[in-house]
Amino acid sequence: ENYHISWQDSRNRSETTLNNMPGADKETDLSERIEAFLADLKRGGSGTGPLRGSGEMARETTALLRRITAQARWSSAGDLMEIIRNEGRRMTAAQPSETTVGNMVRRVLKIIREEYARSRGSSEETDQQESLHKLLTSGGLSEENFRQHFASLKANVIEAINELLTELEGTTDNIAMQALEHIHSNEVIMTIGRSRTVEAFLKDAARKRKFHVIVAECAPFCQGHEMATSLSKAGIETTVIADAAIFAVMSRVNKVIIGTQTVLANGGLRAVNGTHTLALAAKHHSTPLIVCAPMFKLSPQFPNEEEIFHKFVSPHEVLPFTEGEILSKVNVHCPVFDYVPPELITLFISNIGGNAPSYIYRLMSELYHPEDHEL
Amino acid sequence: MSSRGTKQKKGNVTNEQEEEDQPLQAVLIADSFNRRFFPISKDQPRALLPLANVAMIDYTLEFLTSTGVQETFVFCCWMSNKIKDHLLNSKWCRPTSPNVVHIITSDLYRSLGDVLRDVDAKTLVRNDFILVYGDVVSNIDVSQALQEHRRKVDKNISVMTMVFKESSPGHKSRCEEDDVIVAMDSKSKRVLHYQKTQGLKKLQFPMNIFQHGSDEFEIRHDLLDCHISICSPQVAELFTDNFDYQTRNDFVRGILVNEEILGNQIHLYVTNEGYGARVSNLQMYDSVSSDLVRRWVYPLTPEANFTDQRGQGCAHSRHNVYRGAGVSLGHGSQMEENVLIGRDTSIGANCHISNSIIGNYCTIGDNVVLDRAYIWNNVHISNKVKIHQSVVCDGVLVKEAVLLNKQCVLAYNVVIGPNMSLPEGTVVSMHHPEEEEDDDDDEFLSDDQVVGNSKDKTKQKGPVCVCVCLVFQLEVLGTLQRGEEENIGCDNLVLEINSLKYAYNITLKEVMQILTKVVLEYPFQQQGTKLSSSQYTVLLLPLLKKWSPVFKNYIKRAQDHLDCLSAVEELFLEQETHQTAMVKVLMNMYQLEILEEDAILKWFSAGATTDKSRQLRKNQGLQKFIQWLKEAEDESSEEGE
Repeated sequence: ENYHISWQDSRNRSETTLNNMPGADKETDLSERIEAFLADLKRGGSGTGPLRGSGEMARETTALLRRITAQARWSSAGDLMEIIRNEGRRMTAAQPSETTVGNMVRRVLKIIREEYARSRGSSEETDQQESLHKLLTSGGLSEENFRQHFASLKANVIEAINELLTELEGTTDNIAMQALEHIHSNEVIMTIGRSRTVEAFLKDAARKRKFHVIVAECAPFCQGHEMATSLSKAGIETTVIADAAIFAVMSRVNKVIIGTQTVLANGGLRAVNGTHTLALAAKHHSTPLIVCAPMFKLSPQFPNEEEIFHKFVSPHEVLPFTEGEILSKVNVHCPVFDYVPPELITLFISNIGGNAPSYIYRLMSELYHPEDHEL
Repeated sequence: MSSRGTKQKKGNVTNEQEEEDQPLQAVLIADSFNRRFFPISKDQPRALLPLANVAMIDYTLEFLTSTGVQETFVFCCWMSNKIKDHLLNSKWCRPTSPNVVHIITSDLYRSLGDVLRDVDAKTLVRNDFILVYGDVVSNIDVSQALQEHRRKVDKNISVMTMVFKESSPGHKSRCEEDDVIVAMDSKSKRVLHYQKTQGLKKLQFPMNIFQHGSDEFEIRHDLLDCHISICSPQVAELFTDNFDYQTRNDFVRGILVNEEILGNQIHLYVTNEGYGARVSNLQMYDSVSSDLVRRWVYPLTPEANFTDQRGQGCAHSRHNVYRGAGVSLGHGSQMEENVLIGRDTSIGANCHISNSIIGNYCTIGDNVVLDRAYIWNNVHISNKVKIHQSVVCDGVLVKEAVLLNKQCVLAYNVVIGPNMSLPEGTVVSMHHPEEEEDDDDDEFLSDDQVVGNSKDKTKQKGPVCVCVCLVFQLEVLGTLQRGEEENIGCDNLVLEINSLKYAYNITLKEVMQILTKVVLEYPFQQQGTKLSSSQYTVLLLPLLKKWSPVFKNYIKRAQDHLDCLSAVEELFLEQETHQTAMVKVLMNMYQLEILEEDAILKWFSAGATTDKSRQLRKNQGLQKFIQWLKEAEDESSEEGE
C-alpha cells in the first residue's frame, strides 16, 4: 500500500515573469532591475547572515515596489495588487529566510487597499478584518474586487509608499531615542552577536549614562567581535565572552538587550543562533530580556513551517574544508537562526514604542491585511 | 557585482578609469578534449551532464556571473548544437541577464591551445579575462584575486594567476590526476616550480628555485586545482607564438622554462574561503555531487534553483534531504541522509535511500536499496534492486533483483535484465566499443596525465600509431646505416635520432625501444636472417660497443632499463632460434654499462607474463648469467662498504 506524501508546490506558481506585459524600454529596464534584485537575494547571505542589514533590504524592496507601481501597466487596483503579489512570491521564493522582503510587499498591498478604500469614499474602518459580528450582520460577504478605476490612485499609492520609506529610514533613530528610559547608570547589559539597532540603542544611552556591556561572541560567525569593537570606539566599557560562558556570567547581568532577524506572528523570535541559550539563561535568572526590533521585521509567519524556517549555509564555518578526509565520514551542518519562544521575552521595543509579546497579534492586524498573510 | 563597483571607483587617472569601465570577460571551454566520460558523453556532451539535476555548465556560468563577469565566450566543439540549444533556453541568454553569453562553435578545436589561438586570432579579449572549463563548480569570489592580478600586471610581469584552494592531501575532492606540487615565493606568490606528482613518492626539484633572489619560498602539496585562471591578454598571444602549447600544463612549464628570456611570471592565488573543483572524471563527479548536496557550495544549493527553471525548486529538510515537487514516497521507505530527489519521482515501499541523487520523472519499485547512486531522469527501477556507488543515465530500465556493485555505469537507454549481478567497474552502453576508433582521426590532447591507465591512449592511437612507428623505425635504421658507413660520431647520431623523434612525434620510451630493436636486428638487415647465433653475436657486439653512447643517452632512469630489457625480450621471443645469443648480448650490454644489474635482476624475476617469456627465462645460459650477476652483486656490495 502506498501512502502518498507529496509536497505542495506553492513556490512554483511564482515562476511567471512579466511576460503578460507588452515590451517597452521601461519594461525591460524594470524587469532587469527585478532580475538583478532576485539574483542578489539568491546569492546574498553567503555565510555570515545577509550581506546587507534588514533595514537596507526593506528599503530596497520598497523602492523596487514603488518603481513597479510607477512603471508597470495597470488600470485598476486589482491589477496592481496582482502584479505586486506575483513579484512578491518570486522574491520570497528566492530567499525564504529573508522575511523583510515579504513584509514590505504586504505593507504595500495594505497601502493599496487603504488608498482604494479612501478613493471610493468608504471609511477605513469598515473594510478591516472579518469578524464574527460582521459576518452575521452584513448579510453576505462584500465582494470587493478592486476593479474600479481611479485616476489619482497611482499618485496616492506612490505618495503613501514614500511615507513608508521615510518611516523606514527613521526606525533606528526612533528606537534609539527610547534608550534613556530603559538603561540606567552602572548597569551591566548583555547582548549577543551584532545588531545595528542595538548598537545605536546603546550608543545613544552612552551619551548620558555610564554602563557596562557584555557581548557574547556568537560562534561560528563571531559577529560579536565587530559589535564589541564598535561599542568600545564609542567609549562604552565592553567585554567579549564565549557563548559557553553566558550562563556563568548571567547572574551579574541586569538586563539583556538583543536584536533579531524576524519577529514571528506568535511573538516569538527568529534570531541569530545562540539567542535561545541566552533567553533561557535570562529566564532562569529572571533577568528581563528586551528585544529591539523595528516594525518592518514583524512577519505573519508562524514557527511551524519547518522547511522555510531555517537557513543552512556552508559547513565551512563549523569544520573547515582543510580538515581533509574526515569530512567524507561526518555530516556537518551550519544553521544560521534560532527560535526563541514568546514566553522568554519581556519587552519589545520598536519604533512605535514598547509592547509586550502578547500584544504582537494586534500590531500585526494594524500592519497587514489578513488576506495578504499568504502571498 | 565587482565590475559595477569598479565603475563607481574614484578614477584618479583617466586610463585607469577607462580600463575599469571595460566589462570583465571570461572564456569558457565547454569541451574537455578527453574521453573520461565515455560512453556517456557519446550521447550528451559533458557540459550538459546533470550534476545534482542541473547541467554542469550552469554552475560554471553562475559562478562567472556572481563574480562579476559581464561577457562570456563559450567555446564548443563536440555536440555543439546541444550546448547551444541549452544555453539559448536558459536564463543566461535572456535579455535581462547581466552576463552576455556568446557561443562560438567549431569542429577543429582539439585542445585548450587551439581555443586560445582562436581567441587571439579573433581578438575577442581586450583585457584580463577569466579562463575556465565548462565543468567547474565553484562559489569563490574571484574579485580579490583579480585585483591582485591587476596590481601585478601594472608592473608588466604577471601573465596568469591560477586560483587554488587549500585542502589537505587526503581529501576526496582532490582529483588524483591533477595532484600538483608547487614551489612558490611566499611574498609575491610567484610560481617557481610546478610539477604533477603522478603518484610518485619521490620528486626532484631543480636548484634554481633556491636562487631566485627571494628569501622565503614554500613547497606546497596541499593545493586543490580549481582550474580557474585569470589571464592577461598576452596569454592568447603566447599560445599563438608557441603552437605546441596544447594544455595549461604546457603553458605553465613553458613560461617557467623561458622565464629568463621573456620575463613572464605566473602567480598563484590560494583561497581558504569558498569552494572550487572540476568534474574531470567519475570519481570527482561523485565527490562534487556529494559536496553539493552537503551544501559546501552555498549559495549554489539544490533548493535555491539558481537556474530559474520552472518546477525545479525543491524543499530542504533535515539531514540534507531535498524533495522536488510531486515526489511520492511509499510506506516504510526511508530517505536517510544527503538525498536529492527530482520532481514527479515515485518511490515504492520499504526502500532505503542514502547519499544518492535521483533525477526527475523516475519510478522506483519496492525494496530497493540505493547507496551513493546517481540516477538521472526517466529511469525505471523495478523491485528488489540494489545499487551501490554507480551512475545510471537517462531512460534506463533496470529489471527485478539486479545488483550493481561499486563503480558501475549504465549509459543511456540501457535495459538490464532480471536477476543479474554486475561486478565492480562494469560499463554498459548501447554503443559498440569498436565504433569509437572510427570517429577518431586525430589525437585529443588533454591536461590529464593518465596515471597507470594507458588503455584509452593506446586505443586512440591504434591505427595511426602503427604506421608512424614503422616509418620511424626505417628512418632510424637508415641513420644507423649511414652512421656506420660514414663513421659519424655518436653525438651526431643522437642529434639525428632526436630530430626524427620530433618529426614523427614519438615518445622517448618508444624511441629507445625502437632503437634497441633496430640495433639488435642490424646484423639481420645486413646479412639476412640465415645467420647462426655465433655469427650474429660476432657481428653485433662491435656495433653495441660503437653505439653504446647512443644507448646511454636514452637509457637513464630505472624505468628505461626495464623498457629496454622488455624490447630485448620481445625481439628474442620473435627470433627464437637465436635465443642463445641473448645471453651474450645481455652480458655485453651489462659490461658496456648500458644496463644495470639491478634492472636485469628485476626484469628477470618479475617480468614473465606469457608462457613464451617464461620459457625464455628457463634458458640455461640465461640462468647462469643471472646467477653470475647475483654473485657479482653480492661481492661488490660486500666490498663497497
